[in-house]
Amino acid sequence: MEITMKHVSLTYPGGRKALQDLSLTLRSPGLTGLLGPNGAGKSTLIKLLSAALAPDSGTILADGRPLPEQGDYLKSRLGCLPQEFGLFDELTVFQFLDYMAALKGLPCRKTAVQKAIAAVRLGERARSRISTLSGGQRQRVGIAQALLGEPPFLIFDEPTVGLDPEERLQFRNQFARLAKDRLVLLSTHIIEDVQAVCSRLIILREGKILFSGTPDGLIQTVFESGIPFPKAEKEPGAERIFPAAPTLEEAYLRLISGKEGRQPCRL
Amino acid sequence: MSALIFLEWKRLLSRPSARLILFLTIFSPAAGLFLFRPSAADTMSSVFLANPALAGGAAGGILFGLLSISELDRGKRSGTDVLVWTAVSPYTMAAVRLWALLSAALAAFVLTAALWIPAGRILAGSVFDVLDAFWAYFIFMGLALPLAILAAVSAFQFTGRADLSLALFGAFAILSLTLWSGNWQLCWLNPCVWALSDDFSNFRIFRSAAYMRLTWAAGLSGLWILSRPAVRRRKKRAAALFLLLTFFLAWTFQPFTDHSDPDQSVSSFDQIPPADGISCVRRSVRLFPDLRAGTVRGTAVYHFLNTSGKPQSAAFGINPGYRICSASAGGTAVPFSFDGRQEFNEALLEVTLPTGSETELVLEYGGFPREDRSLSAMQGSAEISEEYLYLPNADLAPRLLNVRPAGETIPAVTEITLPSHMTVIPFGPSHAEITAENEDGTLTWRYESEGTGGICYAGDYVRQDIEADGITVEFYYGRKHQDVMEEAGAAEAIQAVIRYCTEHYGPPFCLSGRTLKLIQSRTSGGGYATDGASLLDEADFTAANLKNSAKGAAPGEVMIHELVHQWWGLTQMFDSSDPADPWSAEGLTVYTTYRIVKELYGEEYADTHYTDQWIRETNDYYLNFYVRRPEYFSRLPKKKQLDITNRFSRVRQYCEMPLKIRKAEQLAGGEENMDRILRGLFSREIDPFHPFLTWETFLNACGLTEEDLNLDHDFSI
Repeated sequence: MEITMKHVSLTYPGGRKALQDLSLTLRSPGLTGLLGPNGAGKSTLIKLLSAALAPDSGTILADGRPLPEQGDYLKSRLGCLPQEFGLFDELTVFQFLDYMAALKGLPCRKTAVQKAIAAVRLGERARSRISTLSGGQRQRVGIAQALLGEPPFLIFDEPTVGLDPEERLQFRNQFARLAKDRLVLLSTHIIEDVQAVCSRLIILREGKILFSGTPDGLIQTVFESGIPFPKAEKEPGAERIFPAAPTLEEAYLRLISGKEGRQPCRL
Repeated sequence: MSALIFLEWKRLLSRPSARLILFLTIFSPAAGLFLFRPSAADTMSSVFLANPALAGGAAGGILFGLLSISELDRGKRSGTDVLVWTAVSPYTMAAVRLWALLSAALAAFVLTAALWIPAGRILAGSVFDVLDAFWAYFIFMGLALPLAILAAVSAFQFTGRADLSLALFGAFAILSLTLWSGNWQLCWLNPCVWALSDDFSNFRIFRSAAYMRLTWAAGLSGLWILSRPAVRRRKKRAAALFLLLTFFLAWTFQPFTDHSDPDQSVSSFDQIPPADGISCVRRSVRLFPDLRAGTVRGTAVYHFLNTSGKPQSAAFGINPGYRICSASAGGTAVPFSFDGRQEFNEALLEVTLPTGSETELVLEYGGFPREDRSLSAMQGSAEISEEYLYLPNADLAPRLLNVRPAGETIPAVTEITLPSHMTVIPFGPSHAEITAENEDGTLTWRYESEGTGGICYAGDYVRQDIEADGITVEFYYGRKHQDVMEEAGAAEAIQAVIRYCTEHYGPPFCLSGRTLKLIQSRTSGGGYATDGASLLDEADFTAANLKNSAKGAAPGEVMIHELVHQWWGLTQMFDSSDPADPWSAEGLTVYTTYRIVKELYGEEYADTHYTDQWIRETNDYYLNFYVRRPEYFSRLPKKKQLDITNRFSRVRQYCEMPLKIRKAEQLAGGEENMDRILRGLFSREIDPFHPFLTWETFLNACGLTEEDLNLDHDFSI
């Protein structure tokens, strides 16, 4: 699976520029982390990549096919967990996943549903109504529907929100396993998750790519280029003391709090 | 796509609220029997088919509109849409959701029809027609649901908010039920259906309602496409514009009603001056109605004498739905034009006649007759079907407006070709005869008449010849009504009424010869008469009406009551502008029915079933709380007031007034004197500008005052 974006821009009707001249290529296999502050354009980028929006300019290709015109091609190969989603409370877990499997047009629905339920360890609640599930269990149902049919392209937007630390760790590892033979895009605020499993990072700010490369590459780039911290944090009494070995989180914070209009860093 | 629709449909029906709405919709026609009765006619089909179907359509439409908004809002608020759209595009999903809702509506319609059509059969009795029932439920109810769904879904897709879309949809539905309910094109939810016929067909009203529904379907589908969420919007605009254009064209160029001048006090066609030096010697018409299409094709031939020595313009009135295919004089085409004026359901046609002294003008015409727009909420009169045909005046042939007859009148010959099961009945003294049996199984009928117009009825009629007092009554009634008529003893009732009324009051004005045609017509809101023929509205002879105890103790006596209206009501007219006025045609008709029944079955029977009942009901009326304390009546809700007023009016017209007439009879010196007074009133010279028999005229004829006829609370006769 290969997703290519060339010079993509999108402005919302209110005039807010969500994405500006964005170009990138995503190839399977691999797990790409998508980072950025609120309003950076992550959700818009995910909508474009899932053919839910059309860009104002530029092209998006899924295996060489243009989006959103060939949206059906993409959706038949896509498993996506949006950041905010709902479930049909009156259905059971199995019924809901069966419904989603039918929407995706999967041929062996029952098997696909059972596999997905097993993958998120919800077997005991398969016959329970969704209205009776806890927040974490609902999140797992969401992940399960994305896994239905083992699609070659997976997008997870904040997938571990609401999960306990143990579950988070398990899913993080699962995403890493999934990325061995497919393309996984993980959008999250939890830098630790990204650092642990992502082979590549894309950092967005104000609709532009600030960085695209490996996590180690980000650390190296940020500290070698001497990107300063914002003034407020340099004032007496507010200054932080960082350890000698820089972390990914520090590099990320330095990058996104740097001057506007920086050129993207690439490795 | 179909698999997705089925899936969504299953999911939709898994919701308890959806199942509740389905359940309520299935039982909503019950409201048409008690609460929501827009169809005003008393035919069994109006009461037991049209009203339940219309109520089902209105209630079901509103319920499904609410379900649609709730379903779409739920997907948006709960965030399930976001998840679903990752698998299926919003564009596709919007269509899937719409079709799922439409499928649920279809299921609701099928279940409703399966329950209520058999119920209609039980309630309507022998006049029930399964095809009429199906069309009534399909058009009046079934098609309301998809329109409501389209409107509600479009409102939600445009606004994205449940509150706004509920307000928009609610306003749209309320407008249809209130302000727009009198406009046949605007009332998208509750079509204007004032009556359904029991005995004849309902081709026009079904077509008109279906046309209105389809017009709105095009418009609302266009709106839905415009509102449909999509990633790219260009393609959908073309389809939406096409549908909206279809809506506009279908609205503007509707074929059912004309553009007659709404000011009915003006009649400019009558003011067209007669053409000088030209007269009409005779005319003939050959008609070929297409009963499946509801259209007419005809050739009218007019023989003119032109002594003016110059070309003349002949003016005709013709149904505005017809067009002239050709106009020729002596085999040569002559110019003709419509100047656009339309009045009283006629369009003005002008034909230029050549100079020759004798001219044979041949007009070939045809089309789908339009009805008068001032009666657009009461469509159905221009019925042309395999069961019934009604062609009055300019619907039959172009009606000559400005040419005088060469003699006293213009002799006319009409030939009409119809299927063999139909009987042709000219409305007047003439009689139609079969002149040809055609190879295709049709019959050609011919009759002679006079004048520039004329009315032709045809239908699947039963003819019964009844001799009464030397008068032959040709009684024509619909074949479907045969059981009801026989059960009610129609023939005996006609004999009794003609014998009694002719002897006591004189013949009705329609009886100048020794033959009278009594024709049961498709429901038209009343009867009318001409020389030699009188019309009986089918609504007066329904099984329910024939059991109305206020009119008679038995169906045969109600039949007598309705026939007495040929004397009191039709020959002698009453001002019915105030329906609450106790003086109406009913008082003298009920009194006369009592007298006939007294002659037939004796005084004791008549008093028991008539006088005693009048006294009982009138006493109850006088003792009614709201009659005694009217100040409380005005505090009631309007609907309650209306119900009570209607009940009081019935008692005052059907019970109190006959009692007053009986009191007048006593004060005037007995039955013989009253008969003499009534005979005098019946044969009095009628003022053409105010042809009504008034209460004052009656009192004066009796030599009594209003106070003389006041009834005490404990009166007796």
